[in-house]
Amino acid sequence: MNIEAVITVLLSVALLSAVPLALASVGEAVGERAGLLNLGTEGIMLLGAFTGFWVSLESRSLALGLLAGALTGVVSGLLFGVIAVVVGADQVLLGLGITLGGSGLTSFLFRETFGASQPLLPGSMARPPGDLADALPIVGPALLGQPWFFYLAWVIVAGAELMLRGTTLGLRIRAVGESPIAVDTVGISVVSTRMFAAIIAGALSGLAGASLSIVELGFFQPNVTLGTGFIAIALAMLGRWSPWRIAAMAIVFGSLRGLGSGLQLIDVSVQSEFTRMLPYVGVVAALLLSGRGMRAPSALGQTWVRRRGAVRVR
Amino acid sequence: MTAHLGFKETGWGRPRLILTSKWMDPLWAVLFALTCGAVLLIVTGHDPVLAYREWVERAILRPSGIQETFVRAIPLLFTGMAVLLALRAGVWNIGIDGQVLVGALAAAVTASSLVDMSAVVMWAGAAVAALLAGATWASIPALLRGRLGINEIITGIMFNYIAMSMTSWLVKGPLGDPAVVLPQTKLIPVEMRLSTLGGTRVHIGLLLAVALVGCLGWFLTRTVAGYELRATGASPAAAAHGQIPVAGYIIAALVASGAIAALAGANDVLSTKGAFQGEWNPAYGFVAFALVFLGQRSVVGLVPAALVFGQLSYAADVMPRAADVAPAFFGVIEGALLVALAVTVWARSTSVGRSGFGRGVKA
Repeated sequence: MNIEAVITVLLSVALLSAVPLALASVGEAVGERAGLLNLGTEGIMLLGAFTGFWVSLESRSLALGLLAGALTGVVSGLLFGVIAVVVGADQVLLGLGITLGGSGLTSFLFRETFGASQPLLPGSMARPPGDLADALPIVGPALLGQPWFFYLAWVIVAGAELMLRGTTLGLRIRAVGESPIAVDTVGISVVSTRMFAAIIAGALSGLAGASLSIVELGFFQPNVTLGTGFIAIALAMLGRWSPWRIAAMAIVFGSLRGLGSGLQLIDVSVQSEFTRMLPYVGVVAALLLSGRGMRAPSALGQTWVRRRGAVRVR
Repeated sequence: MTAHLGFKETGWGRPRLILTSKWMDPLWAVLFALTCGAVLLIVTGHDPVLAYREWVERAILRPSGIQETFVRAIPLLFTGMAVLLALRAGVWNIGIDGQVLVGALAAAVTASSLVDMSAVVMWAGAAVAALLAGATWASIPALLRGRLGINEIITGIMFNYIAMSMTSWLVKGPLGDPAVVLPQTKLIPVEMRLSTLGGTRVHIGLLLAVALVGCLGWFLTRTVAGYELRATGASPAAAAHGQIPVAGYIIAALVASGAIAALAGANDVLSTKGAFQGEWNPAYGFVAFALVFLGQRSVVGLVPAALVFGQLSYAADVMPRAADVAPAFFGVIEGALLVALAVTVWARSTSVGRSGFGRGVKA
């Protein structure tokens, strides 16, 4: 295989495996901007990955599967939001519970639905016409030859950036993560703003899971995400809670994630343990390089309670 | 539970029901989790009454079930202590899974090189190796947290995944037993494993774990270091004002926590497993958090809570045969339990809200 083809394959795989990371991480960032630390991202991704895969296997439709994944995410985000914001709960424990429960639930339902069989989605469900991709040498297939969802995902990421930065809603989300009391004082509902952020975060995580099982892999198996949700949480921090920085980080870590399968495609044999380890080592290294002096949203992880006549955060 | 609904401010005096007392919280959480499980069983076409009856009959009422519950509670007790110690210093050790793995591997390698010695020497050697390995593995996230203020939750989880890959590579390659095809360390002969107690399957690891629970309780409540550690956890700013080396205690707590967690791995290798097998991952970490909060974050509460989760772990093995319920069902139960505990813990306490990123403490 010549060097150009190798670069093409590695680049395509890297960009495609950046998609679930970017979506989940942007979702986590929207939640964290509103003060919600959701360690359940991994669990919500698994839920989205399972329902997305199942629906798309039954309906033979990529779009329906992705939609189902996103809707599962909305429901999970709603659940997280109601418990963390309306009822009030310790967010770290709640997130761990959602991850544990999501992992258990998807493994259980996968066995109930498919037994011991390992169904695969039919390949190349959504490849664009090849001539477009062949127009550009080397980078063509990676940039223009991806499934359509690839492009939609980056549009969603850009939309999240615009939403956080340029809309009233975005301003409210950012404000409620810095100072819920101030937001409440000017008459904006902290609870509904946070609920909205929780739902958006859930939807993006669910969609990220579905894109992993449907677009990237074409199959589901118990715990298929392998910690991608946790890497996404780390990326939200490394990308300083800004979607475009997160997108850049996601491409870097996506290439680390995809390196294993990329090398396999071009017949280079490396111990799979090492390639599997790479993104996690990368996160620690990146935190070491840039983690110092990072300022998180001030009210991150704090549950806001309004009492009659008095407002307090605890 | 209803504190934030404003009962406290009304001044009418809340009706003091036993059912709403703090001590009933774990029971409600367990009931909630079991209800969630029943709903899931109904939705997936199982008979929940039949499944739960089989569970009680086969896993709880039989002597073998009770013995297995104790056997499985032992490693959970170690991991629960690890979580609790870190939590008392105000930090979250979510790196338990990785520390268990490196501890188990270190113990397995050390034990298999000491098979010619007496059993007690081998156990001690394996335990020391596990302690050192767990402490070393935990020291990196600990230092990053204590010195640079980098969130220990994220680094802990990353180190779990690194440990999984690293240990599985090590047993496939340099540390594996070349005599067998499977990637695993040299098997420890059955007569060299931890001695069992009075003809049961329960082994002396239980005595060690319970003794260590006693030591932990003594350390936290009766020593200066324990007091300063708790002060660090209760209010880092106040502790720093009182000349307590906050960063030092955070690092020490995380390192010690990792060492204790590693004992769970050593325990499994020396008793039930006999070797470190590639890709083995008991995933005690998240369960340990559920355990600690089920035990109301008290040292004494660790023991009954560990028995609850020991029972869940055994039930996960029995139920596929007994009632055709997949082991993953118990993951759902444990997740639901954590969610319920997250609510009760927050409602009862005024200080747990600090669990976010915004609580950074610089020395």
